[in-house]
Amino acid sequence: MLCSNAVGLIKQLERTSDDTVPPYDTDNIRIVLQEMKSLYDENVEIVNSTRDHMEDAMFALKIRHRALKRNKRCLLAYLWNRLERIKEMRWQIGSILPAEMKCNFSPSEEQWLSNYNKSLASYMRTIGPNGGLNLLQNLKPPKSLYVVVRSLVDIGRIELDDGEMIVLKKDAQYMMLRSHCETLIHQGILEHVL
Amino acid sequence: MNTSEVAELERELLQNEDLDEDDNEEKLTAQDVLEIIEKAWLNEKFSPEILPHKTEYVDCMLEQIKYMESNISFLQSTDIQVDIYKFELERIRYIITSYLRCRLRKIELYAFYVLEQETTRNSEDRYLSDSELKFAVEYIQNLDIHFDSILKKMPWNLQTLEDPNKRIKPNMDSYVFLRANKSVSNVIIKDVFENREEEVELLENSQHLLPYSSVVMYIKDKSVQLL
Amino acid sequence: MDPSEIEFIAEKSNIEIIPKFNLDGVIHLISGDIGPFRAGLPLIVPLWLALNLRQRNKCRILTPDWMDVDKLEEKKEEEKNSKFFTKMPHEHYLEVTQLLLKVANDDINRADEIRTLIKDLWDMRISKLRSSVNTFVNSGGIHASLDHLTQLEINSIRPLLPDALNMLQSLNQDSDSETEDGDSTQNTTRNRNTTDSFLSSSFHSSS
Repeated sequence: MLCSNAVGLIKQLERTSDDTVPPYDTDNIRIVLQEMKSLYDENVEIVNSTRDHMEDAMFALKIRHRALKRNKRCLLAYLWNRLERIKEMRWQIGSILPAEMKCNFSPSEEQWLSNYNKSLASYMRTIGPNGGLNLLQNLKPPKSLYVVVRSLVDIGRIELDDGEMIVLKKDAQYMMLRSHCETLIHQGILEHVL
Repeated sequence: MNTSEVAELERELLQNEDLDEDDNEEKLTAQDVLEIIEKAWLNEKFSPEILPHKTEYVDCMLEQIKYMESNISFLQSTDIQVDIYKFELERIRYIITSYLRCRLRKIELYAFYVLEQETTRNSEDRYLSDSELKFAVEYIQNLDIHFDSILKKMPWNLQTLEDPNKRIKPNMDSYVFLRANKSVSNVIIKDVFENREEEVELLENSQHLLPYSSVVMYIKDKSVQLL
Repeated sequence: MDPSEIEFIAEKSNIEIIPKFNLDGVIHLISGDIGPFRAGLPLIVPLWLALNLRQRNKCRILTPDWMDVDKLEEKKEEEKNSKFFTKMPHEHYLEVTQLLLKVANDDINRADEIRTLIKDLWDMRISKLRSSVNTFVNSGGIHASLDHLTQLEINSIRPLLPDALNMLQSLNQDSDSETEDGDSTQNTTRNRNTTDSFLSSSFHSSS
């Protein structure tokens, strides 16, 4: 049926949960684009061959044109909704996404994300009078100043926001300022101990 | 740090609380500025459209935070005051970041619409700060590049995406909860069901559920607060 | 809004504590001055600070006046007998109670009875709220008065109530005006705060 692959792309997104980005469906996109090309070619063909009895062909032309527009709309909606999810992921996880997530992106999506990261970073740098504000921190209302965290990896010495150096050993527990460990928790280096 | 130094520090902290407001001569304390930001934060969270920016207050508060932080660094880290100051700064930082994140989300979602609206405004009536404006422009450019990657593979007469189709508009008639800071009479509510209008009076401190469009100007002039 | 954010707002409320330490001078917080702290002498501080100090065993929290079994019994009776919502003793009565009982249970007189009373009050009001929402939506009203509802109570009907009204509104608009472009009439579900968009993926196609 006309447009079924295009609608299939949308359904694919509806079936998967909002916090995942399914593999970019190159095959189906190619099929939809191919269908669009055929629809277009057929219309051109009709217009060229039936110059004299245009009224008769009008119906067929209109149906194909509607189908073309619907395919276009589905493809763009597919792209747009994927971007929304990629963006959500970027906010949840940070600017460096794990390879197993990134392999589901198209090259254009990767480019988009890298541009997005750049403009987000430059926006954050210009907030306030003293060299910026990191909006990726303080994501939740502060409940207490300090939290107990456990290190999930042996990362060795790292520098905290205030310049202090600490050594993180796997499985060891630390009492840290919430603001210091938020980013590290997001990156999967620390885990919040309840 | 000895007691006289602490006293000196506290005097400085106190003095720095007096901050000037750009628009008028009225002196605002840091506490006033914080309240303005807190209200702006809640209004922004609940209003469908993006509201006029409060950059001067945000900047002022960030300046204040920085000042407090540098003063805290002179105190003994075991001093109980340090934790108290730091905790409050964390709370304020949360409000500011949450407020700006909320605005950023709206800028992204309604990018085309927001920019169209912005071009109709004078520079002093802008809703976006300079940095937000720059971000919005880049966001749209970036989106266009991405869409073009697929559009240019389509038949030639379908290769453009018309502006109206890119534009996602906030629903200005969506329902919001609010409290009246002062009495407001003659609030007009359009009844789309019956195609008529209803007029209500909002008494001071009363709470209501209304379409956003009915009270939009009262939010901007601070007569009502969204909840 | 996330309930944790309303709790965050509730933590701005003032509360009386008895500190277990001395601190000369006043602490100039951005949100206002507090102190001086004198061990054994009551003073008023924001709830977030009271909870923080209590967790570190640096103070005892005094039960707020309204958090009293007799007063709450009375309040409960009043709420039961009133068709409308009555004014609560505190704008954040549930959050403050929950926070205090979690962190400073031992400081609160008759804590268990308070817990039950506050919960009863909340349940009573929420069920009243549900039935008034129902009546309101059925009546086709376009404006509701919500006096005396607390922020958390209002939040409990969000997004359901505003969404339902937005939906009714847009269904009505659709039946009034035919959309120009055939494509967009296919699009039935709406984003909560957004008018229809070409880019939304909420197609419910029949194919």
